[in-house]
Amino acid sequence: MKILVVEDEEGLRESIEEYFSDAGNVCETAQDYQAAITKISIYRYDCILLDITLPGGDGIDVLKVIKENNYPDGVLIISAKNSLDDRLNGLNLGADDYLVKPFHLSELMARVMAIVRRKAFNGSNLLLFNEIAIDLLAKEVKVNKTPVKLTRKEYALLLYFIANKGKVVSKNAIAEHLWGDGIDMANNFDFIYSHIKNIRKKLIEAGAGDYIQASYGMGYKFTEQ
Amino acid sequence: MKLLTKYNRVNLVTTIVVMLVTAIIYYQAISLILINQKDTDLGVEEREILEYARLNHHLPQTFESNDQQITFLEAEPGSVARQFFNTTYFKKWHEHHHPGRRPGGEYEAGRGLITTVTVGGKYYKVTIVESKVETEDLIRIIFVITIAVILLLLVVLSITNRLILGKLWQPFYRIMKELRLFNVADSTQIQNVETTVDEFAELNQAVLAMTSKAKRDYKDLKIFTENASHELMTPIAVINSKLDTLIQTENFNERQSKLLNDLYAAVSRLNRLNQSLLLLVKIENRLHRDEEEIDLKALIEEQLGQFEEIFQDKGLKLNYSLDNKEIYAVRNLIEILLSNLLSNAIRHNCNGGSITINLTGSELVISNTGEDKALPDEKIFTRFHKSSGSEGSGLGLTISRQICENFNFSLAYRFQSPLHIFTVKFG
Repeated sequence: MKILVVEDEEGLRESIEEYFSDAGNVCETAQDYQAAITKISIYRYDCILLDITLPGGDGIDVLKVIKENNYPDGVLIISAKNSLDDRLNGLNLGADDYLVKPFHLSELMARVMAIVRRKAFNGSNLLLFNEIAIDLLAKEVKVNKTPVKLTRKEYALLLYFIANKGKVVSKNAIAEHLWGDGIDMANNFDFIYSHIKNIRKKLIEAGAGDYIQASYGMGYKFTEQ
Repeated sequence: MKLLTKYNRVNLVTTIVVMLVTAIIYYQAISLILINQKDTDLGVEEREILEYARLNHHLPQTFESNDQQITFLEAEPGSVARQFFNTTYFKKWHEHHHPGRRPGGEYEAGRGLITTVTVGGKYYKVTIVESKVETEDLIRIIFVITIAVILLLLVVLSITNRLILGKLWQPFYRIMKELRLFNVADSTQIQNVETTVDEFAELNQAVLAMTSKAKRDYKDLKIFTENASHELMTPIAVINSKLDTLIQTENFNERQSKLLNDLYAAVSRLNRLNQSLLLLVKIENRLHRDEEEIDLKALIEEQLGQFEEIFQDKGLKLNYSLDNKEIYAVRNLIEILLSNLLSNAIRHNCNGGSITINLTGSELVISNTGEDKALPDEKIFTRFHKSSGSEGSGLGLTISRQICENFNFSLAYRFQSPLHIFTVKFG
C-alpha cells in the first residue's frame, strides 16, 4: 500500500511511518498544510492519514481539495478532538473513517486496511491469508473450504490480527479494539487469552497453521512462519 | 424571622410604649387641668361664703345640693390652714329614683376645700366638698377615646406596613428567586429586576455583575479544561505510538515486559481520565444535539453482550427483566451511561455475586452485590470520589449523573443490604 501521513507532531508521524513501512508499505509524510496539498496534487495514495489541526491550515480543507478533485484516495481522519460534530463533519465531507488520538498503531493499521480493502476490491469482499479465507460481508471464515465457527469477538480479533500480521499487538490494543476504549478492567486480559486460545484451537482443528504467538507477555503476534 | 415581621414587632412595641406614655401624660395633664378647674369652682364658692358672712354677719344656710356639701365647724382661731384636698363625696339620692342600689346614697370621688371664716367673733372651719364624678367621667371618656385612637392607629400602621413593605420588598424577593435559579453551568442570564429603590437597584447590579463574572470564570475554566485535555491528547498519542513501536523490537526479558505492561496500563488510564474530563465538559456544555429515539431494551442487551465474558469470569449471576422502552436521547451518551453503570456493578462486585437489571416504562434499576456497606450517598456523584482500590477514573458516576440530567432523568443510589442499587428514573 502507499500511504500518506499528514501529521504535524513529529513523534507520532515517525511512529506511524515506521509501523507502516515495516509492514512493507510505502509511507510518505507531510508535516503541514502546504506540504500535504503539494503531495496530494502530485501523487495518489491508497490511504491518506489526515490530522485535522495542522500548521498553516485546516486538515478539513485538505479533505475538501481531495474531494473537489475527485481523487480516489481513501482518507482516514486522525484528530485529537473527539467531538461528534468534527466526526460527522469529516465523514460528511467524504472521509472514510475517523480515529481519535490517542490510538494504538495496530488499530490505525486495521482501520487503514479496512479502507484500502473497501477501495481496492470494489465491493469484492474476500480476504485471503494462506489457507484462511474470510468473507467480509457474510462474516464467515473458512480454512481450505472448511467453515470455522467463530464468535463475534473472535472474528473481530482474527481480522485485527491479519491486518497487523507480523506485528506484536499489545493486549491493551486488543482490549480496546474488542471492548471499546471505555473499558478499563485489567482482568480483560484474561478474556483476551481465552479468546486467542479458542481461535487458535478452532483454526488448527480446521487445518490451518498455528499463526498466533504470544509475545513476552505483552501481546500477541500473527505471523506466517 | 422575616425582616417585615421583625420590623413590625419592633414597630408595634415602640408604638405601644410611646402611646401608653403619651396616654399617661395626657391623663395626668387633663386631671391636673380639671382639678384646677374644680379648685377654681371651690374658690368661687369660698368667696361667696365669705362675702355672705361679711355682709350678713352670720353663716349662710347650708343646704344639700346634688354635687356640693358645705359644713361649718367652730374651731380654735388660727388652728386651721386653708387647703385643697381629695376626699370622698357621699351622694344622697331618693330611694325611688335608683331602685336596687345602695340605699341612701353612694360614695364618689370628691374634691374639697378647707377654709376659715370669722363671723361675729367666732372662728369657723369651713369644708366645701364637691363631687368630682363628672370630671372623672370626662377623664374616662378622654382616656377611652385615646386608647381607641391608639388601637386604630396600630391596626392601620400594621396593615399599611404589611402592604407597603411587602410591595417595597418585591424586587428583593425577585432578585432572590433569580439567584436561587442561578446555575453557573446554564447559558441563561439572570434577569434584570426593575426597581426604583436605589438599594435594590444596587443589589441587582451587584448580583448581575457577580453572576456574569461567575459564568465567565466558569466558562474560562471549562475552556481551559477542554484545551488542557486536548493538548494532553497529543503527548499521550505519542507515548502510545512509541510504546507500540517499542514492542516491535522484541527480545524483551520478563522484567522488561512487565515494565512495558505497566506503562501501557498507565497510559491507557491517563487516556481514559482525559477522555472522561473532555466528555464531562462536553456534556455540561450540552454540545450534543443529535437526539434520537433509542430502543433502550435493545441497547441494554447489546451492552450485556459486551460484558458477557466478564460476567462469566467473575462468576456473576445476571438476572434481568427488560420491558420495551423508547427514550429520546443521544445514543452515544446513553451507551456511556449504561456502560458506566454496568462496569461499576461489575467492578465493585464480589466473586460469585449477582447483578440484577430491571427496565420498566418508568425506570431502570441496576443492583449488585458487593461490599456489605452503604456508599456515601451524595459523595459518590462528586468528581474524583473513588472507593479505595478502585481502578476507575473517579468520574464515571459524575458523568452518568450529568448525562441523566441532560435528558431530565434522575440518577439515585441507595443501599439495601446486601444490594447496592442505582436507579435511573425517566422524565
